[in-house]
Amino acid sequence: MLSPIQVLCSDITTLSLEPEPFASYTEADIISTVEFNHTGELLATGDKGGRVVIFQREPESKTEPFSQGEYNVYSTFQSHEPEFDYLKSLEIEEKINKIRWLPQQNAAHFLLSTNDKTIKLWKVSERDKRPEGYNLKDEEGRIKDISTVTSLQVPVLKPMDLMVEVTPRRVFANAHTYHINSISVNSDYETYMSADDLRINLWHLDITDRSFNIVDIKPANMEDLTEVITAAEFHPHHCNLFVYSSSKGTLRLCDMREAALCDKHSKLFEEPEDPSARSFFSEIISSVSDVKFSHSGRYLLTRDYLTAKVWDLNMESKPLETYQVHDYLRSKLCSLYENDCIFDKFECAWNGSDSVIMTGAYNNFFRMFDRNTKRDVTLEASRESSKPRAVLKPRRVCAAGGKRRKDDISVDSLDFTKKILHTAWHPNENIIAIAATNNLYIFQDKLNSEMH
Amino acid sequence: MTMMMPKGQKRKLSIEEEASDYRAPTWESQQQFLLTVSLNKYQFSQQLREPSLRRSVLIANTLRQISLQMSMVPSVNVEVSEPPGIASSALTASIAAAAKRHSAVTVDSCSALATCPMVSLNYSPNSTEKTNYSSESNFHISIEDDEDWGSMSTDTDSSLSAVISSILAALDSTIDGNPQPAPRIPLRPLENMSKPYEGSVALVNHGLRDPGDCREQQEDGSMEVMRSSYLGDFTVEDLFQDIDTSLVDIDMGVIGHRSTEGGHTAGDDLFMYLPPFSPHSPFSPHSITPTSQNAQPALIGQLA
Repeated sequence: MLSPIQVLCSDITTLSLEPEPFASYTEADIISTVEFNHTGELLATGDKGGRVVIFQREPESKTEPFSQGEYNVYSTFQSHEPEFDYLKSLEIEEKINKIRWLPQQNAAHFLLSTNDKTIKLWKVSERDKRPEGYNLKDEEGRIKDISTVTSLQVPVLKPMDLMVEVTPRRVFANAHTYHINSISVNSDYETYMSADDLRINLWHLDITDRSFNIVDIKPANMEDLTEVITAAEFHPHHCNLFVYSSSKGTLRLCDMREAALCDKHSKLFEEPEDPSARSFFSEIISSVSDVKFSHSGRYLLTRDYLTAKVWDLNMESKPLETYQVHDYLRSKLCSLYENDCIFDKFECAWNGSDSVIMTGAYNNFFRMFDRNTKRDVTLEASRESSKPRAVLKPRRVCAAGGKRRKDDISVDSLDFTKKILHTAWHPNENIIAIAATNNLYIFQDKLNSEMH
Repeated sequence: MTMMMPKGQKRKLSIEEEASDYRAPTWESQQQFLLTVSLNKYQFSQQLREPSLRRSVLIANTLRQISLQMSMVPSVNVEVSEPPGIASSALTASIAAAAKRHSAVTVDSCSALATCPMVSLNYSPNSTEKTNYSSESNFHISIEDDEDWGSMSTDTDSSLSAVISSILAALDSTIDGNPQPAPRIPLRPLENMSKPYEGSVALVNHGLRDPGDCREQQEDGSMEVMRSSYLGDFTVEDLFQDIDTSLVDIDMGVIGHRSTEGGHTAGDDLFMYLPPFSPHSPFSPHSITPTSQNAQPALIGQLA
């Protein structure tokens, strides 16, 4: 069985970077979501300015072996604009919170993008031919003088430069009072759900003027509110099952066949708290920031502030595996609470075969854990260490004052403004996309491109 | 490690580990510190473009925890000498008892808003003041030694509970689309006062209350002050100019200190915590004293 972690350590190479190193960047350029499509051919990123950039993988060329599989910009469009809610006197940010691709059913690609309030369905299509030889119009489109038309011709399609058109097909608005944190396309390819802090709505992809509320955890008295929804996802195969996570560290698996309103969960996944480890911050660090079904549908991957956990759907009492992402921060929680870092929401990702999980950390570090060999690696996504074709070097964080090897980073030297919140893994290959503030890094395992 | 701290706010201790010993000064000072930080965070979150509900809920839960811990610590339950005629003592006691029973105090929003006391925290950045440590109190004293802050702790439980309730009630009004959003008060900070500050006197000067409404001036009012220089360079007068008390009865019992006469005591900085105020929340039938017309509503309730 391949050990991807080991190979990745020695052979991971940088494929492409954002062009032009900027000395500074605007806040609008900060990447807020990253998502591969179902084949991995396309990679979409959303940013705080409401823009979506789609990258396409170049087909591998035999003549130029070094250009294999690079991702280049395919299309850029403005998905959401800033809005103002006049009723509440609040601005609605245009930041793209999530992008989800629909499975491809024809030549066009469809994706859902959402900000805090509105979800939009976009159609991405290519145009590489255009009709020429109209009878009534000339090549520039001007109407011909009819008296000059002496014969009829049939317009023919002639090739043209490839043009990528992105058009909004649906706008799903006015269904969320609170901030949307997740969207998830159902395996029936007809419905999807959107989750905000207190409610989850079910939509049909073709119907924009209504949605069904399937979860509502808003208490009658807001003073009783102690828990919010943090993430939600449909099961990859069972269209009736979905899971949502909460700020108290619980996961709830719900079955839509049981009732129209799925407030009552089918399964509740919660790890009992260790009383000896209890502190003021126990609840905050237990808040689940991301939840992902495995590709098999058998497991759940969750991320809280300090750990990543793999749960077996058949075992609710405790996680199957717990991985320490940056346990050296446990003694720094007070400071991290003070500077708000403790509220950062890190995402997590499975590889295609569900054997490796990945998540981000601070100082532009990201971590990968091999579930089988139990080995893990810390890598850095930065310009200095990521020249194209370079091999990523494993990094190590040592405790302050501890034994320090060369190139180790001390906990106190970590840059907490450089955080990797958004990561994505190619569905089939060992290619990962890492969003580091305003930069996108794509790394590939060259030796072992195929997943094992 | 780079920490973004409010400017000028020095930490008393370098808190790296959480001590579990409730009686240890480290744990208590950390608790105090967390209380300060949590309330500040809530204040800042109200000034953001859109408050994050998750963040607000987590901070509110942390405040609840602190409140619960404070009420559970035995050294906190010191005698509270109150003058017998205080009307709201029963309410305070019931709130405090409820807080102990239940981590979330479900007080009616109107009573929460009406009785929400000024939660002020004693935060003394100078290490020398740390030594002014009442054996009966968890809190540092930054004023003259003859002030007894022992009663403050119990009041703080109820004040915290009420604050937490008002936080969440206000979240409801701001987020849930009430016809009129709660006007968010940018909390005007107080400049560090070098002179002892006579809190209730300043309020009187600005006509925020009728002197006749001032009931409990002595002994029950427990107020700590927070020296928070990061808050900027506003004066107390500026702070109170923003307060519209047209809908809230200002009971100066909150502000009053123990004092043998007049209810005016020396104090250091006054830090008022003013949660957002929803004008549509019903109020308890206290008399309304309209004063300053143009300012934001204030939540200054009575604390007996």
